Amino acid sequence: MPQTTIYVSPRSVGAPDSRPPAVDTTDLARLFAGSPALAGVSLRIDAGRTVALLGANGAGKTTLLRILTTAIAPSYGRACVDGLDVGRDPHLVRERVAYLSHATGMYDDLTARENLAFAATMLGTPDAEQRVERALADVGLAQRSGDRVRGFSAGMRKRLALGRILLGNASLVLLDEPYATLDADGMGIVDQLLAAWHQVGVTVLVASHTTDRLEAFVDGRVILERGLIAAASGHGVVSAPPSLPADSRPALREVAQ
Amino acid sequence: MNALRLELRVAVAVARKDALAELRGRHATVSTLFFAAIVLLLFGFALGPDAARLAAAAPGFLWLAVVFAGILAVNRLHLLETDDDAMEQLALYPVSRRAIYAGKALGGFAVMLLIGIVVLGAVGILFAVDIASAWLPLSTAVVLGALGVAAVGTFYAGLTVRLRAREVMLPLLMLPVLAPLLLGAVKATTAAIAGDPFGELGAWLQLMAAFDLVMLVAGAATYGFLLED
Amino acid sequence: MRTRILGFVALGAVVAMTVVGLFVVPADLNQGDAQRIMYPHVASAWVGYLSFGVTALAGIGWLWRRDRRFDAVALAAAEIGVMFTAFAIWGGMMWGRPIWGVFWQWEDPRLVTTALLLALYVGYLLFRRLTDDPERRATRAAIVGIVAAIDIPIVHFSVEWWRGLHQTATIGSPDRVLNPSAPMQFVATLLGTLAAFTLAWAYLMIRRYQLARAEAQREESRRVERVMSARTAEPAR
Repeated sequence: MPQTTIYVSPRSVGAPDSRPPAVDTTDLARLFAGSPALAGVSLRIDAGRTVALLGANGAGKTTLLRILTTAIAPSYGRACVDGLDVGRDPHLVRERVAYLSHATGMYDDLTARENLAFAATMLGTPDAEQRVERALADVGLAQRSGDRVRGFSAGMRKRLALGRILLGNASLVLLDEPYATLDADGMGIVDQLLAAWHQVGVTVLVASHTTDRLEAFVDGRVILERGLIAAASGHGVVSAPPSLPADSRPALREVAQ
Repeated sequence: MNALRLELRVAVAVARKDALAELRGRHATVSTLFFAAIVLLLFGFALGPDAARLAAAAPGFLWLAVVFAGILAVNRLHLLETDDDAMEQLALYPVSRRAIYAGKALGGFAVMLLIGIVVLGAVGILFAVDIASAWLPLSTAVVLGALGVAAVGTFYAGLTVRLRAREVMLPLLMLPVLAPLLLGAVKATTAAIAGDPFGELGAWLQLMAAFDLVMLVAGAATYGFLLED
Repeated sequence: MRTRILGFVALGAVVAMTVVGLFVVPADLNQGDAQRIMYPHVASAWVGYLSFGVTALAGIGWLWRRDRRFDAVALAAAEIGVMFTAFAIWGGMMWGRPIWGVFWQWEDPRLVTTALLLALYVGYLLFRRLTDDPERRATRAAIVGIVAAIDIPIVHFSVEWWRGLHQTATIGSPDRVLNPSAPMQFVATLLGTLAAFTLAWAYLMIRRYQLARAEAQREESRRVERVMSARTAEPAR
């Protein structure tokens, strides 16, 4: 298996203590159609850590990730990435965050290479052509690089999406169920990436509902249950219970701007 | 200047990506062109067969066909972003929103231009209109009209593509806004074909250009808000 | 309380101007009594345009400040405005029938422009209904309102040009009432009706805004309630 090359942003360099927390949320809540997917999450994750975000389906893992990636806005509370508020400075946050979602956002009629080439332009990747080839190789898609994505299986699309993450230089990587739909080789690639990111100091937050495979890589664990943190443990992970009625009216009224 | 060049690269990349996807895609552009042709045929059917009457109404047919086909075309350009929820990914790139808008509108303009040229030719044939002698003002009108439909259509298509009832909302929102462009285009076309007897051609083309400019600026300024979720 | 006073004043003004328009001011020499409907027609149209301007400005306010009150203003202005606009068109048609013999006259630029305004309004209101989340709805509605409002002056000018090129100076011209050289009584009646309708608009706006705010606040407390009860719920074990 080829060695994965991670290009590291200057932001990821430096002792973890000298950097602001990668993730810092306060009473974060988000409603969909009137019902709370996140009810009040206060979580701090230090820079450079790899943390597993666990919980059953519907617990709020994906919602939390999507808020951190600025895809959706919080309904209440605050979320900060690298000290930057997702509501106030979304464009700055986007420069720092990479997100692997369930839907991979690939264009069916473009080839794997073309998809990544487009992503490289949008991400401002230097030496785009080389980087694209390298990324394709790193995720094991070099053979299929000229094929249209339409014919790709879910697992291959996921690999391609991982390749896209490699084109950027994010300091926070958010993975939503990375192992799902992957075969053994694919899962091995994810393992490699997790190890490599950890080594260079990139913060990784991995949502999953199984933990077995992740155990080897994570520094900490956060368990979500019905939109709240049920438990949080490990290095560099701190959580707090949500504010309750008596003291929370002012906090809630502060809708993220 | 560097930032501007970056935005330009992003816009071109988006337009190229759309063009590639369209060309390879489910033959959508060809279908849209055929749709425009069918619309013209139906006009002839409904208002013919008196040749003089048809020739007089031809500019109207031309631009109505272009606008209707335009609705389909801009819708398609954004439908492509529903592939695997690509639109969300597009919104997450650290690039300026107006660059994305510019790229999408550029792609839309290219498609609309093609539609405009084909429909112009078809109108010339079907309704016995002499377009050759007035090709310069007519081409100008087609360019300006295509630009206007692309500017407005890109905005509204982006807005409605992820909503329910989008098939009817897109034309419902787009068409009233396009009314002045439609008016200007038909008037300019009529004047051009007749050899501009009242000297009004310039005024109508200016109206179209002003419309295009205003709508491009408005679209670029607001596209970011529709990418927000 | 002040709003109620405004309401009475507005009502009084509208009634007064209706009386004036119908009985006090003399009929137009050429158009006869049919011309009287011009006063409320023009006044309603004016209010319709004003209201759309308010919708657009409120939209800008929301995008800038993210204060939900702006969105309530935008909604109120759109709903009240569509009423006045519809009335203006109806008035225009009622005027047209005796004068031209037809309900619709393409050569009346104001009628055509107002019809497009109605279409823009209706589009805006229908569009609002497609989004449930209040903040997303406010943002999307704001940009639709702004682009539509930008379109209106362009529509106005283009339709003016359109008509201008088909100059048929008929006695049945809708502009007689707006002509600066029109008799003082006509102008005064028009301005008075304009003022009365604007007062009525203001009153209706305030009421509709209050209603929208009350709804929004009710919805908001429901949301807060849901979040809070989720926080205090017993964990399922």
